[in-house]
Amino acid sequence: MAIKGVNAFEMAQAQFDKVAAILDLDPATRELLRWPLREYSFAIPVRMDDGRVKIFRGFRVQHNDARGPSKGGIRFHPQETLDTVRALATWMTWKCAVVDIPLGGGKGGVICDPHHLSQREQEQICRGWVRQLARNVGPVADVPAPDVMTSGQHMLWMLDEFETIHGGHYPGFITGKPVGMGGSEGRTEATGYGVVFTIREALRELGIDVAQTRASVQGFGNVAQYAIRLYTQIGGKVTCVACWDQTDQAAYSFRREAGVDADQLVSISDRFGGIDKAKAKALGYEVLPGDSWLEQPVEILVPAALENQIRADNAPRIHAKVKVLAEGANGPTTPEADTILQEKGIFVIPDFLANAGGVTCSYFEQVQSNMNFFWEKDEVLARLDSKMTAAFHAVSELARKRKLFMRDAAYVIAINRVAQACRDRGWV
Amino acid sequence: MTATGEDVPRFERRLFDPARRISRIGTGSLGGKARGLVAAARILHERRADLEVPGLSLDVPALCVVATSVFDAFLDRNGLRPVVAEEPSDEVIALAFQRATLPAEWLGDLRSLADDARLPLACRSSSALEDALGRPFAGVYGTKMIPGNQPDIAGRFKGLVDAVKFVFATTFFREARAYRRAAGELPEPEKMAVVVQEVVGRRHGDRFYPDLSGVARSYNFYPVGPAQPTEGVVDLALGLGKTIVDGGLCWSFSPAHPKRPPPVGSVRDLLDVTQAQFWAVNVGPPPPYDPMAETEHLVHRSLAEAEADGTLRYAASTYDAESDRLVPGTGRAGPRVVDFAPILSWQELPLVPALRKLLAVCEEELAAPVEIEFALSLPPGQPARLGFLQVRPLLVSRETVEVTAEDLLSPRAVVASPLAMGNGRHEVGDVVYVEPAAFEARLTPSIAAEIERMNRALVEAGRPYLLIGFGRWGSSDPWLGTPVRWDQISGARGIVEATLPQMNPEPSQGSHFFHNLTSHSVLYFTVPLHAGRGVDWGWLERQEVVARTEHVRHVRTETPLVLRVDGRSRRGVARPLRGEDEEGVSPESA
Repeated sequence: MAIKGVNAFEMAQAQFDKVAAILDLDPATRELLRWPLREYSFAIPVRMDDGRVKIFRGFRVQHNDARGPSKGGIRFHPQETLDTVRALATWMTWKCAVVDIPLGGGKGGVICDPHHLSQREQEQICRGWVRQLARNVGPVADVPAPDVMTSGQHMLWMLDEFETIHGGHYPGFITGKPVGMGGSEGRTEATGYGVVFTIREALRELGIDVAQTRASVQGFGNVAQYAIRLYTQIGGKVTCVACWDQTDQAAYSFRREAGVDADQLVSISDRFGGIDKAKAKALGYEVLPGDSWLEQPVEILVPAALENQIRADNAPRIHAKVKVLAEGANGPTTPEADTILQEKGIFVIPDFLANAGGVTCSYFEQVQSNMNFFWEKDEVLARLDSKMTAAFHAVSELARKRKLFMRDAAYVIAINRVAQACRDRGWV
Repeated sequence: MTATGEDVPRFERRLFDPARRISRIGTGSLGGKARGLVAAARILHERRADLEVPGLSLDVPALCVVATSVFDAFLDRNGLRPVVAEEPSDEVIALAFQRATLPAEWLGDLRSLADDARLPLACRSSSALEDALGRPFAGVYGTKMIPGNQPDIAGRFKGLVDAVKFVFATTFFREARAYRRAAGELPEPEKMAVVVQEVVGRRHGDRFYPDLSGVARSYNFYPVGPAQPTEGVVDLALGLGKTIVDGGLCWSFSPAHPKRPPPVGSVRDLLDVTQAQFWAVNVGPPPPYDPMAETEHLVHRSLAEAEADGTLRYAASTYDAESDRLVPGTGRAGPRVVDFAPILSWQELPLVPALRKLLAVCEEELAAPVEIEFALSLPPGQPARLGFLQVRPLLVSRETVEVTAEDLLSPRAVVASPLAMGNGRHEVGDVVYVEPAAFEARLTPSIAAEIERMNRALVEAGRPYLLIGFGRWGSSDPWLGTPVRWDQISGARGIVEATLPQMNPEPSQGSHFFHNLTSHSVLYFTVPLHAGRGVDWGWLERQEVVARTEHVRHVRTETPLVLRVDGRSRRGVARPLRGEDEEGVSPESA
């Protein structure tokens, strides 16, 4: 969604331009990769519960599919814009490439607010979205997944519509399905765990004992919750969590020096991940302003909420103790803030590497769905760890060798892979 | 307090990294077995010059230890502690463990380990209590071999994960629970580490196994002929060491007198008391999936197959019926006897000098008698490889106990044995015995079940006891003795192997339970058929009966019964304690 003063797609293009220069890409490849290959923008008419017909606006952007079918989520958000979707589709291309899975990048969305829609109305939006795109998506073309305010239930409605139109079973059309309905074990944990796998490897590389570290996390959704759990299990301590309060329409930070207990906070949070302030206080948490999470004297920061959260205006407030910033969210740091992070000597694990656990596990889900044979959780999580760890080390090794910032090194690897695939196909 | 494994480097996603032959996954204790292997590697490194034997290369096979933090996280995150607290059947525990997920943060390392290992791996239990108590819990927990021959990493990874979960599950199996109960108060709850180690051996068709495996002890509880206790003893078996660990038929010799055969009636008898089958890892077509079976990936094969593999070359002699003697080697037709004569008599391989050196150096390093495990592989065109698989101090009771020849004839002796095993003294107030009048060889399986029930009650009540029965305890052949497992008799502090005219096999001398006997300091009395006083059945009948089944009686003695074994003379006696008894222990303090 649009953030005042920041256009996410312009940011994605700026990042690309910087790396294209490092790679010395030819003009045609630059032009091809700066923009999506295909964009769909369409109307979804839905008869509402009160009998009126309302027209919703839907999008699907396929940024690049040179390495495989497009892959990316579908977001339901009232402030959704085509540029946000373009930016996110672009990042998906780089994300799939950096973890070396054979998929391209896509993203979709519908401008709507599920808080004000009944289940039936949401189902109609899902089915309408698929009806508009049924010939342009599919297991070998474009594979959607859940994203902001969409869930496994939305995916099943979409799958059902797709299978009805095509007259067969295609569980590999969509990922994020519930386990038992074509979903993969470990998918729920995957993004958060993936963030922690990269943090673990970063700490090893920096020679820091995880047991001596503390972390502050922005967000308390699925990614943050599983990241907090695993990070705590491997010996770290999360001392602060920030999240959005739906009632107050404001964010708050919850701090407890003794350590945050994810399960306890889940028990006092609403379905959007908002934590009950009064109950939190009773459990010994201090309730602080929303951006306090950024100023905590911790070794690790994990922005795991929305984009553009670390900007030039607030990045200087990051505490001097911070050694690692792992981007659980997509695009949480602006390019200007990146410069400040570099000056502070913070080791950044860029978003499309840190949070690639989700798409990696989605890829596993797609593979399993296409085979109609499902793996045990041990197998899924072990493969996830292997992929994430290998990707992390490829990026950090390049960063070391070529003295690049981690984000640039990750982009160099990813963009180079995609550019090579385009060249191999004879597109450029 | 259990030592942590921080001194062992972290696993670096390559098992066979030449610079890192020992590594760990996870934190916490490495367990007793892993500690032994770390000690073995240290001794080898520091004393290499003293251990060198031409023609033989000695090493500790590459290994990675899954430390106890993985075990703890596995139990906690999968909610398995309440499951095991209910003490369900072994099958229920194994299934619950197989269904659970290993901790996510270590799965990548395990997968990488499976990726790296294309040969069989042994997943061996390594108990934290063994480490904390400094004594082996041999044979109590599971070991699982995995073939590592699946072409895809997913198959190898699944095999490894199933094996680790199986070893974890065996921590709570019935036999292990009984063992811990019998061990009395323990300083901490049990935790399990798993040693994942390269199996020493060679592939022969669908089988993978070492040319021989062995256990060597620098102290011998049963010296025969000219052998002295301090000269030690070696057990050898063809194939995997499971034959020895399970108490199967193997070849025993004193490293000081390697050519001397064991005491049997005739050469022909050797055919019956030597190894006829061997264990190997199955590297052929996959067996039926059975993650709960320890032997899932093992095969038990006959000597004919070993001969076809060429592995009897150094392991066997041939019985020549005409001359009634054994001819070392397999050069002629005839029944094979696994006596390792080409190595022990003809010294075609320098195994005996290597073992002598190893025992001496390990004794020096550990400042105690030691037990070592090893496996030998003979790759063609290369020096023989002696894999050093374990070293641990051997529990030898140094208590001086004197049992004279007169003691055996004393009218106070309830049990008198000229062929006892162990060394030391125990007091018990209970005796469980098989009634001689009710005994028939065909009844031994039901006798085993009756004893198990009494054992369970006595262990729960915390009352050690003396067990008396006929024939070989733990025999797999019910016609040769009572086919009990250790957990069925785990509370016994003294065991009597008595004889009857209708049950008079070659004495087992406790060989089936050797490790359990030594680690619990259990005294073992063999009473040959015509050996003086033997067992005073009349005295036993006069004691108060606590429980009685069809064939077994449990009595409580009026005064404690003192069991004594003199390890030097091998005499053992059990007799009631008297106030003026030479042991000087009053009944109140017992």
